[in-house]
Amino acid sequence: MTDSKITEQTDQQPETLVQIRGLYKKFNISGDFLDQLKFKGGKIVREQEFVHAINGVNLDIQKGEALCVVGESGCGKSTVARTVMGLITPSAGSISYRGERIDDLDDKQLLPYRKKMQMIFQNPYASLNPRMTIAQTLEEPVRLHNPDWSAQQVRDKVHEVMFSVGIDPSWGERFAHEFSGGQRQRISIARALAVDPEFIVADEPISALDVSIQAQVLNLLMDAQEKRNLTYLFITHDLAVVEHFGTRVAVMYLGSLCELAPTKTLFAKPRHPYTQALMSAIPRLEDDRPPHIKLQGEVPTPVNLPSGCVFHGRCPYANERCKQEIPKLITTDEGGQVACHGVEEGRI
Amino acid sequence: MPLLEVKNLEVSFGLRSGEVKALRNINFTLDRGERLGLVGESGAGKSVLGFSILNLISKPGRISGGEILFEGKNLADMSPEELRDVRGNRISMIFQDPMMTLNPVLTIGQQMIECLQAHRKISKENARTIAIQKLQQVQIPSPETRIDQYPYELSGGMRQRVVIAIGLLMDPDIIIADEPTTALDVTIQAEIMELMVELCERNNVALILITHDLGVVSQVTQKAIVMYAGRIIEQGPTREIINDAQHPYTQGLMNALPQMAIPGQRLNQIRGAMPSLQKIPTGCAFNPRCDYVRDACTQQLPGYTASGNCQVACHMVAELKQAEQASEGA
Repeated sequence: MTDSKITEQTDQQPETLVQIRGLYKKFNISGDFLDQLKFKGGKIVREQEFVHAINGVNLDIQKGEALCVVGESGCGKSTVARTVMGLITPSAGSISYRGERIDDLDDKQLLPYRKKMQMIFQNPYASLNPRMTIAQTLEEPVRLHNPDWSAQQVRDKVHEVMFSVGIDPSWGERFAHEFSGGQRQRISIARALAVDPEFIVADEPISALDVSIQAQVLNLLMDAQEKRNLTYLFITHDLAVVEHFGTRVAVMYLGSLCELAPTKTLFAKPRHPYTQALMSAIPRLEDDRPPHIKLQGEVPTPVNLPSGCVFHGRCPYANERCKQEIPKLITTDEGGQVACHGVEEGRI
Repeated sequence: MPLLEVKNLEVSFGLRSGEVKALRNINFTLDRGERLGLVGESGAGKSVLGFSILNLISKPGRISGGEILFEGKNLADMSPEELRDVRGNRISMIFQDPMMTLNPVLTIGQQMIECLQAHRKISKENARTIAIQKLQQVQIPSPETRIDQYPYELSGGMRQRVVIAIGLLMDPDIIIADEPTTALDVTIQAEIMELMVELCERNNVALILITHDLGVVSQVTQKAIVMYAGRIIEQGPTREIINDAQHPYTQGLMNALPQMAIPGQRLNQIRGAMPSLQKIPTGCAFNPRCDYVRDACTQQLPGYTASGNCQVACHMVAELKQAEQASEGA
């Protein structure tokens, strides 16, 4: 795989940058071989347990957009992000970048793609190496991906990204612990931008930060998108951020996609009962908002997935069909996609 | 007489580099059944304030000045025995992370019964009945079986319900809740907040809610206090503060929320970050980040100005009010 194969295509149509098809990921949680042996009905049997983190997700990420994935803890949104980045191998399904399949490549073959795809993590306290200075942290990826650059070129590049994220380039000799949370997240962003990527996966990049700092970092991400023509896959649980930032939104529940729609459409008219409940639960500043939709019970464990629609146990509209048949994504009149039997049958 | 009155409270931490004032000049009152929100970013001192009300500040920190009057008695100079009678009994506390607050090696029931027996002369059987009742109040399904389970067997939302049930055990007058829903998902958060409001109203319990989430404050509380760098910068009725914030920091905090901006546009950010308590700027602590900064702001600590029903610590607001009064007088 050469670098030239994945450089610019000239296409007027909205171009699909990343394509996720039939993605499944299960994690084995049954321990080693001896732990798996159980004594049942007079026999020794081997039993394995799996966490079904992603169950058949299809997503297309268009060039230039910010696709937000939302959902509650345990819905598989971070697993999707990590699988796209190749940090986790999928159990089934494929991931393509500009039409080239990347999920089955080895580390060496992945290298040119790693330059194009970068990741920003949630916790800036854990994602920066405490024993490296900021300059070292930022220089490392630049040097790795541009082995023929001179030391001066590398330094210039690092200065440029530090400047663009609002970190004084003269602070390069400091260590990560000398910075506040917001500044550290800026450094993480600088590290991602240092290799001039075109696609950035951001996994809850602002949820560890204070409100006033969140706004600074969100602005920074939006500026970077504009200036560098970036595409984002943005993982978050905060719907207010999504409404502001996202081009399209994918709502996940227990490893499945329940709704995918342009941001405006989704917020104007959420179709899936889970999306409706999620949106009504955001604490708003206005005092005259409608009361929130209460869901029965809590999110079931992804170890024993419910049959049929994964949401049927908590859904106020569930019927027999929902308990048995897994709903498929259907396109709605508004241009979104929703996986719900109720919407399909016209009862919701 | 208000149920709780905090007067000129000051909390200091003696560090090697010198004494740091974590709270300065804190004044507020709380009536029976009232719900008060303490808002601010990390480091503003809101948790320290919550802890100091129960005199829970541990060394090297201490209450270095002022009074905390609970029904007229000063909690700041009570003996440990007297304090034990107030803590958990008359004023109880709910913490952020329910997994850290519950003892992992005791069942829910053991922890609840222990608390009841520490404060009242009561048999184990009666204590158990009360415990089950309280679990029912916080809407835990089948409390008779849940009570014999260990914390790890419950989900995050359930655990926080148990912690709330323990907070309510002694029918306290005040509950101090320190970020009670921050560790939870939004749908669970909405349920827990609704439950807390309902329980406080039904039992006429006052609530001090410590949070960084202005949305939650807006939905839950009647009165709000905004803190910055160890000081109250604005306090008053919640609706007035949300709809018409006076202090530039409160305004900035509100405008920084994504829901206040036009989608796709830049958010109105406050530049810079909260100063460390060791390096609080002279004058108004917010002055390096403020757009309306004037000479007085960098020299003199602003006093409180009444604006509507709110108290605001800001030179600009004070000047505006003076000008208003002058024009009315003329």
